[in-house]
This record gives sequence, C-alpha cells and structure tokens, in this order.
Amino acid sequence: MSFQIPLQAQLNNNHTIRKHVLLGITGQDFTLIAASKAAMRGATVLKAADDKTRQLNKHTLMAFSGEAGDTIQFAEYIQANAQLYSMRNGIDLSPSAVANFVRGELASSLRSRKPYNVNLLLGGVDPITLKPSLYWMDYLASLAPLPYAAHGYAQYYCLSILDKHHHPDINYEQGIKILRMCTDELKRRLPIDFKGMLVKVITKDGIREVDYDDSARIDCP
Amino acid sequence: MASGYDRALSVFSPDGHVFQVEYALEAVKRGTCAVGVKGKDIVVLGCEKRSAMKLQDTRITPSKIGLVDIHVCLAFAGLNADARILVDKARLEAQSHRLTVEDPVTIEYITKYVAGVQQRYTQSGGVRPFGISTLIVGFDPLDKTPRLYQTEPSGIYSAWKANAIGRSSKTVREFLERNHKDDMDRETTLKLTIKSLLEVVQTGAKNIEIAIMAPGKPLEMLPVEDIEAYVKSIEQEKAEAAKKKTGRTPGTGSAAILSRGPDE
Amino acid sequence: MSRRYDSRTTIFSPEGRLYQVEYALEAISHAGTALGILAKDGIVLAAERKVTSKLLEQDTSAEKLYILNDNMICAVAGMTADANILINYARQAAQKYLLTYNEDIPCEQLVRRLCDLKQGYTQHGGLRPFGVSFIYAGYDPQRQFQLYQSNPSGNYGGWKATSVGANNASAQSLLKQDYKEDCDLKEACGMAVKVLSKTMDSTKLSSEKIEFATVGKTKDGRIYHHLWGADEITALLKEHNLARDESGLDGDQKIV
Repeated sequence: MSFQIPLQAQLNNNHTIRKHVLLGITGQDFTLIAASKAAMRGATVLKAADDKTRQLNKHTLMAFSGEAGDTIQFAEYIQANAQLYSMRNGIDLSPSAVANFVRGELASSLRSRKPYNVNLLLGGVDPITLKPSLYWMDYLASLAPLPYAAHGYAQYYCLSILDKHHHPDINYEQGIKILRMCTDELKRRLPIDFKGMLVKVITKDGIREVDYDDSARIDCP
Repeated sequence: MASGYDRALSVFSPDGHVFQVEYALEAVKRGTCAVGVKGKDIVVLGCEKRSAMKLQDTRITPSKIGLVDIHVCLAFAGLNADARILVDKARLEAQSHRLTVEDPVTIEYITKYVAGVQQRYTQSGGVRPFGISTLIVGFDPLDKTPRLYQTEPSGIYSAWKANAIGRSSKTVREFLERNHKDDMDRETTLKLTIKSLLEVVQTGAKNIEIAIMAPGKPLEMLPVEDIEAYVKSIEQEKAEAAKKKTGRTPGTGSAAILSRGPDE
Repeated sequence: MSRRYDSRTTIFSPEGRLYQVEYALEAISHAGTALGILAKDGIVLAAERKVTSKLLEQDTSAEKLYILNDNMICAVAGMTADANILINYARQAAQKYLLTYNEDIPCEQLVRRLCDLKQGYTQHGGLRPFGVSFIYAGYDPQRQFQLYQSNPSGNYGGWKATSVGANNASAQSLLKQDYKEDCDLKEACGMAVKVLSKTMDSTKLSSEKIEFATVGKTKDGRIYHHLWGADEITALLKEHNLARDESGLDGDQKIV
C-alpha cells in the first residue's frame, strides 16, 4: 500500500482552491464568518455571488472551500446530519460537538478511496454557555479551535493584521472594523479579484447576513 | 380463536384475517386520544395528556406530539416505545430526502413512508406490527394548503378534514362529523379541536396538549393558559345551552315557531 | 419447528396487550428494591441486595448499581444477566458518542438508546423482552441533574423520586409522602435509607444488605459519581439509627 498523505497533499496544491478566501473572527458575544463570493474554475470566474456557507443549526455556520463538487456534497451531508440530530433530540449540537463530528467524518473520508477535498471554518455560539467559538479545519482533518482563522492565500495577508488588532473582548463593531482591514488588504495585495465577501454573523439569537459594502476600490501603492 | 392463527406472527387465518394487525388496532384503542383538525389556513393537533404524578419530572416526560421535520408534525396513539422508533425512522427519511432531492418532504410523501414501514411490519418474518396509529399534519413546501393524514398499524393511510385516533376515537370522530365546517378560521379550528377532545377528556385543560401548524412557521404549542381560556368559554357555552333547554317553557317555544310564521 | 418458537415471541393479545412484556414486569416485581431520589445538588441511588453471604467479596461484586459513563450511573431490578447485556450496550453507546462529538452523551439520549434496544426486543429482537427495569441518575449541562426510570417495554420517564422492584408500591408511596422539593443530597440520602428500611424485611440494615451511590458536584464544579464503600454505608446507617447492633450476634450466628 502506498503512503496516502503526499498524494492527498497534491490534491490541495491547487491554486484555484487557495484563491478562495475564508475568514473567521470571534469576539465577546459573536463569531464572524466571511467568504469570498467568486466561484472559480481555473482562471475563470463562473459566478460572482456564490455562497460558500451552510447553516448547520440555529447557532452553527460552516464555510468551505476546496474541490468544487466535494465542498457542497460534504457540507450538505454534514448539514443533513446536524439537522437530523436536532429533530431527533429536540436540542441542537453545540458548535464544539459539530466540529468534532465533522472532523471524524473528514478523517474517515481521508482514509477512504475517494476522500473529500475540503477546507472548513466552523463558527458558532454555544446555545447553553453562550460562548462564541471558531474552528479551523483543513482537508487532512486537523482541527483547531482558534480566536481568528483563515484559509487559502488569505492567511498570508490577514493573520498578521489579526495578530496585531484582535482581542477576545472586541465587540461587534470592532470585529467588523478588523474584518474591513483584512478585506481591504486582500483587495490591495491579492493578484485576483475574488468578487467581494459574503459576511455572516452568529450570535446567541442565531445567524444573519451582514450588509457588507464591498464596492470601494482599494489601490496598491 | 385457539386455532393458532392468532399466535403465529402475521399470517392469514382461513377466513382471511390477519389477527396480529387487528390486535394491534386494539393496542391503539388503549392509547390516549389524539385529534387532528384542518382549518382554512392552519392545521391543529390535539392530544389527551395523562396527568403527571407528583414525583414525575415534568421537564422530561415524553410528548405524544413530535416534529418529523420543521414543517411536519406527528401525533400518535398506542404504544409509546413503538412510536419513538417509527418517528425516528420518519425523521431520518425526512432529512435523507432533503439531502438527495434538495427539497423538504411533502406531507403525503412522509405519510406514505410511515405507512410503508408499518405495512412491512405486518408482512415480515418474526416481527409484530407497530401498535400505533398516527396523525401526520403540516404544509408542503411553498404551499398554503393544510394537510392531515392518518396511518394505521396495517399500513393503510388516508387524508382527512378532521379525525381522531386512540381511546374513544369513535365518539370524537362522530362529534367532528357533526361539527366540522370547511374554511374555519384559527379561533374556530382551535375551539373545535378542544371541544372535540373534551368529549372524552373530563379533566379539562391540564390534560390537553395543542399543537398548531401554519405555513412557513415553526410548530406552535398552545400555552396551558390559552387552552384553559378555551375550555372555560366552551363550558360556559354548554352551561348556557343547557339553561336555555331547561329554562325554556313550552309557551315560549311555540311562540318562536309562531313568530317565524309570517316570514315564510 | 420454528413455528413453536415464533409463537413465543412477543405478539399482541386479542385485547392489544403484550403479555410477554407484562410478565417481564411481573418478574421484576420480585427483584430487590431499588430507588432513586433527585436532590437539588445531586442524586442518590440505593438498592437492596438479595444475595448476601459472608463469603462474598463485598467491594468487587456490585449486584444492583453500575457506572454507565462519567456522567451517569444506574440501578437495576430484574434479571441481572439481562442487565449486564444492556449495561454493556449503554457503556459502548456512551463511548461512541464521546468519540464522535467529544462531549458526554446527554442523559436522555443514553436512556433512549437503551430503551430503543429494549423496544426492539418487544417487536422483533428475540424470543422475549429484557427482564430489567432501570433507574438512571445523571448530569448534563442542558438539564443539570436528572433521574430516569425505564422498564422492559422500552418506555421511560423522568422522575424526582422513584423506585422499582419488590415492595415498589409501598416505597413509592413513602417517597411521595416524604419527598421535599429542593432537598439537598444529604437529606435525600437519609430519606433513601429510611424508605429502604421500611420496605425491606428486616428493620435493622447492614452494609452488606444494601448498595448506595451518589452523583454530585465537587466544589470546583466537576461532576462526580461515587459507589459507596461498606464503611460509608455503615456510617450513614448509624447516623440514622438504622444499623444493626454490632455488639450482638447477628441472626445467622444465633441459629448456629
């Protein structure tokens, strides 16, 4: 039997996938998830209003990037399972439970003949403790709970900004402000047009889309 | 009866009965009563609820009304444990349907599924039928027509305007046959549901559970106080009706008839 | 001759009853009493041991009380061999949940998993239902401390205080009489031994005749469960003046 991981690593060594931007930021009582709106195939933008997120239950949102077909297939499979759990038990899975469930599914998929090639961000607010949380997960099924996280090339531009400006106690306005700094920097430096960001926020009251104005042109010095 | 055709599981007797299925219906009749009523744009489920004993933890006692999916609600009469298993199967099918065809189930589809499972248990080896009947209500996706179906242990399913299952269901059904009208508004539908349940539930609001489905809205469980208010107004009406009956002298009765005379 | 066995599986009687389930319930009503009481800061389970012998290893052979999970324990009444199967199943179910979600399984779900298995045996599983009733005591963050009871039919319910086994009716009415909302764990323990002493044949109890367990919260907020040792039970009995007189000879020895 051949050693599988290097082979899988090649799968993800695909520039299209890395051009997808996924960002997550937690604050005192919320989690922000942002995903680029461009659906790309090779050098072509197929769609400029793509939604790379799925709501798993009232308090958990998953954003995904990766192989085009895999992402939706996997996300909807997870969504169906999370909702089945809610219907059966009359209570939603906590974000941490969802994250561990997803990790398990991804890990067993990775060791199958045709693994899913998806990278994920999972944001949520625990329905009991009301604590916001963010989980970073890659296609190799490594899971990390983080205060802020990014996938793809976005990491190289945004993490340093977040390192400098993020604080666990930031409020929603501050969170949006930091997110704006990140997306501006991406527009400034990333050599592709990712067609702006779709932003959603998770609070104890549920998930809603943020009206995020992306029209401003940012020039590179 | 001792011929043995009621002992083995689910085989025909010489005169064409499948006794186990018929006996399962008896188990249904031993269960508490459940009622379903369609209004113009809502559909209501009502259940008789056993009163909690003093030491019971009221947070946890399982309900007779449950959600199959966010737009499908189910009430049952019969064996509790059987119902749990059947409802669980229905929930799995509802989500699996969403995943494969990207659409929520229609009420008829999930009814057919539930009835199909029940039928299978009347014909497979080594199993007994489910000892439950169910009422399945809700609204199809993007549709405003209320739906109400019933399934039975035999696997039969049928659509109704209003129906009852469980203990004394015959009495309640007859009451509904007399009093159900098409296109009832919310108030009238709720009142009819509670009134029909009161035919068999003597103890009033604390032993009644009411669930309301409306298009595009989550399941609404009617608060006890509201049920109480309905019960009170129904009792008042009944008392007034009784007073009229007894308080009316033969003279006034005939006067009423006379006064109508000229109009005709 | 499969018909012969088929006819003994659980099927409906003409009145729509499941006799096998009812007979199983009957079997349980001869088993040693077990009871559980929900307090505001914990839960106590207590049970009467039927097999007592001087030669029995006391600390390794629990007859009535078992640990299911980090957050849950249970008391059984009925056929111990059947109980062992179910307990094993429950432990596996709990661990599988932990593996999948990295969280302890919520109490009601574990109870339901077990009850679904029990239900299966009344509909298709084997030749007879499981002959055991359980009382479960557990904790989860959603509903805090919880007490459940389940029986061979696969039905379950939540309780503030409940009992199963022999003399279950009188135990239940004693509990109803004495139960106080908002009692603490210590009071609940006292109540448990009092009820047991009244429902058991002998008025004076000893540690080898009963089993005792508690679920509670430590000062730093962690959940613990604890199966009591003989000395702890003796201390509790002494405190409530229900212990058998140690200085005198006990019954068995007198006869000799």
